[in-house]
Amino acid sequence: MLSDFITHTMKLTIKHFYFLAFLILVTSCSSDDDNTTDLDKPTILVNYDGGFPQACQELSKGETYSFSALVIDNLELASYSIDIHNNFDHHTHDDQEATCELDPIKDPINPFIFIENYAIEAGLTSYEINVSIDIPNDIDSGDYHCSYSVTDVTGWQRITSLDIKIID
Amino acid sequence: MFYKTVSLWLSISLSSVVFAQHSFNIKGVVLDSKTLQPIEGVNIIGENLFAVTASTGTFSISDVSKGNYNFKISHIRYSPKIVSVVVSSDMELIKVVLEESTTSLNEIAVTGQTKKRLAKETPIVTELVSKEYLETNRENSLMQTLSKIPGVSTIKIGSGQSKPVIRGLGFNRVVVVQNGVKHEAQQWGNDHGLEIDQYGIENIKIIKGAASLVYGSDAIAGVVDIEPNKVPLAHSFNGEVNLLGETNNDLLGISLGLQKRNEKWFYRTRLTYRDYGDYKVPTEKINYENYIFELHDNNLRNTAGREANANFSIGYTSKNITSETFISNVYAKNGFFANAHGLEVRVSEIDYDASNRDIDLPYHKVNHFKIINNTSIEFNNHTLLFDVGYQNNHREEHTEPTSHGYMPKPDDTKEREFVKNTYSLNIKDTFKPNEKHTVVAGINTEYQNNNIGGWGFLIPEYNRFTIGAFAFDTYKINTDLHLLAGARYDFGILETKSYNDWFQSTVNNEDGSTSYIYLQRAQNKTLNFGNISASLGLSYIQNNTTYKFNIGKSFRMPLANELASDGVNYHMYRYEKGNLDLDPEQSYQLDIDVSHKFKNSSIGISPFINFFDNYIYLNPTSNYFQTQQIYEYTQAKVFRFGGEFRASTTIFDNLQLNVAAEYIYARQTSGPKKDFTLPFSPPFSTLITANYQFKDLGLLKAPSLTADFRITADQNEIVPPEETTEGYEVLNMSFITSISALKKSAPLQIRLKLNNVFNTEYYDHTSFYRLIDVPEAGRNISIALTQTF
Repeated sequence: MLSDFITHTMKLTIKHFYFLAFLILVTSCSSDDDNTTDLDKPTILVNYDGGFPQACQELSKGETYSFSALVIDNLELASYSIDIHNNFDHHTHDDQEATCELDPIKDPINPFIFIENYAIEAGLTSYEINVSIDIPNDIDSGDYHCSYSVTDVTGWQRITSLDIKIID
Repeated sequence: MFYKTVSLWLSISLSSVVFAQHSFNIKGVVLDSKTLQPIEGVNIIGENLFAVTASTGTFSISDVSKGNYNFKISHIRYSPKIVSVVVSSDMELIKVVLEESTTSLNEIAVTGQTKKRLAKETPIVTELVSKEYLETNRENSLMQTLSKIPGVSTIKIGSGQSKPVIRGLGFNRVVVVQNGVKHEAQQWGNDHGLEIDQYGIENIKIIKGAASLVYGSDAIAGVVDIEPNKVPLAHSFNGEVNLLGETNNDLLGISLGLQKRNEKWFYRTRLTYRDYGDYKVPTEKINYENYIFELHDNNLRNTAGREANANFSIGYTSKNITSETFISNVYAKNGFFANAHGLEVRVSEIDYDASNRDIDLPYHKVNHFKIINNTSIEFNNHTLLFDVGYQNNHREEHTEPTSHGYMPKPDDTKEREFVKNTYSLNIKDTFKPNEKHTVVAGINTEYQNNNIGGWGFLIPEYNRFTIGAFAFDTYKINTDLHLLAGARYDFGILETKSYNDWFQSTVNNEDGSTSYIYLQRAQNKTLNFGNISASLGLSYIQNNTTYKFNIGKSFRMPLANELASDGVNYHMYRYEKGNLDLDPEQSYQLDIDVSHKFKNSSIGISPFINFFDNYIYLNPTSNYFQTQQIYEYTQAKVFRFGGEFRASTTIFDNLQLNVAAEYIYARQTSGPKKDFTLPFSPPFSTLITANYQFKDLGLLKAPSLTADFRITADQNEIVPPEETTEGYEVLNMSFITSISALKKSAPLQIRLKLNNVFNTEYYDHTSFYRLIDVPEAGRNISIALTQTF
């Protein structure tokens, strides 16, 4: 009869069940070892001799500056971006442990916006960012943020942000 | 059969009413011998005389003539007792004390089916949560209360909001059902809660495993089914008041519930209000990346909130028809941590520290309105069940406006608004053609309409219609062996609506020119999805051991944001890109559950193996769009296994020990994140609980002391952009007792709770605030009082 057959099969399966549970437990402990995934974020270094801009740096309108930072990864770098936007509303402070003196809060009229992405050639674990940026004459002067961000091939990202000032 | 000793004593209070010379009233009360709590639903059976106790444990039989009577006092969970009563003019109030029966299960197997027995017979791995469990374990939100169950955890933000996670999967992979209708809020979002009042719930069924067969799309990881409360007993009126006070976030809460039934009509109502301040964390400053946020008075700035809920229902019950209509509204307003909203660090002019109770920007408010009707009709061997529902979920998120990328500073604070209307109709027929088979067949239909507003864009507007039909048979091969087999087909249409930015972005064209355009972030698309689900399971009860095997295939329709989003989420510093080619997620799962009851202890293990063909995952790529990292919805094969272990034992009469452990292993076996785990993977965790039941201490009845000790391992299994989380140990204590202030009224129940006894600083890997290195709440003392009447 079907019921007898199933009951019998169940009893057999039950015997094996404890073995199966044990197997799962063992697998769960051993499989952690073959973890070869990349768990490290890239890093960004601005605070070195060639790094530009430094925290609280003043930039003049009409000038061209070479923006530089060092990026490093354990495996392989992928791309980076530079973002310059105003901080007229003091929405954030920078993360470079420097406290820069800010101008009074004001509304933007024609703020400077710089938003660019760049790819890093394949196979590198360290790279120096060097981007030439013109500061236009017709923009609002005042407090700005300069953010660098970098990704590695795995998809880890690092962002750093600096307080800078654009002056006439 | 072996019964524990039955104690019975008669008290001395005088009976009140004698309304004819030869006709008297018998009045009495039935209590639990251990807790001295009233027992509801006890049958009092004498010759031609019958009564059932109300929720206050009381019963009365009128029009009884003078003489000697024997009554059988019986309840499914207790050893029955025969009581002799002498009916005369000076009748006393009869007090009966019943002992919980350890062997009652054997009896039940013959006489009828309890929920416990039914749960054993179904091959689906289920956990039943009773009102008593909810009351003795109550935390700040429903899901936090349930997270003590092994295999259940939460994704939470702040002190009062959390969403269910079953075996490591959450959001739209867990279905929450209330009163038979799928709860439709904004499940995909990780920064708000469930929008369900956790008071007034009697029974919750938690399914761990593939459950699309009955629940349709999304029930991939499991279901939290908040069942309708049972119909009150005829001619009864009762209610309860719950008061709650907490020290950590200065919470004050009150909830009032009432229910009344005449012969056939009944009504219920529940009102809840909670108001709380910022919660305290055991640290004076938060270090996030290179930022340091000093905290005032350990308060996690701007996490205060309030919640106001009301629901009302009216029902009718007769021999063959029971119908109840529920109207409910849940409203909540909560602040978000002010220093970092998402990953974005914010500086504000707002004086957040002026008060720990005010709710400043950023905050959200959410309102969930529901009307549901449940109607069941019984005829011949059929039980027909209709669930009709309308839900409106309205959520607004407000933030201090600021410019972002090419977006100028917006004029107002309303960043996001979601208004979602959901219409549901479920029809289910349970048919018992004979003793061996129970066939259930049904149709679920749902229409959804999602609207958006505000200056931030995350998900598009959409309309969605789904229809599914299922049938399954539970075949009782013999008393102890049950087979369940069923299949289901679902069809869905999703219409996404296009969305363009309200501001212009600068686009550098290939020919060197520059244009300024309103970027399109979502497209007008109509997509169809079809899917088959199925389930096959077997349960076998061998004396004190229960075995369950279940294989199921479940699915989930892709969400509108997974398909069609295309824009920057500034709070998370990412550009989210949908994929119109996504297929419905399909999951195959094998569940096993073995439990064994010894004389004074029990043990259980429930392992599972799970395989996803195409898990939908927001993958962080290496590329940028407008300096934001591109996160793209992709599909990957995923292999998971894990399970729960539980054991409980009674060391000596009054001391009970419980151990529950949970473990999950997850691997993406294809795609860009091959060999990585899934996001928000819960770490290995064990909860050890010791409960000591004291003897009565004067006025304090049935006092008991419970210690919960949670040991959680490190979580080093992460996927970008997560951080590893260190393990922790945390101790919670609670003391429960009741005081009978007035002889005739129900006792006042008191629960004193001390959470995080040592004010331990620890991080929850699945907390939203974990992303910005905010630890869990510090020490908290709470007092909960419940008075039933």
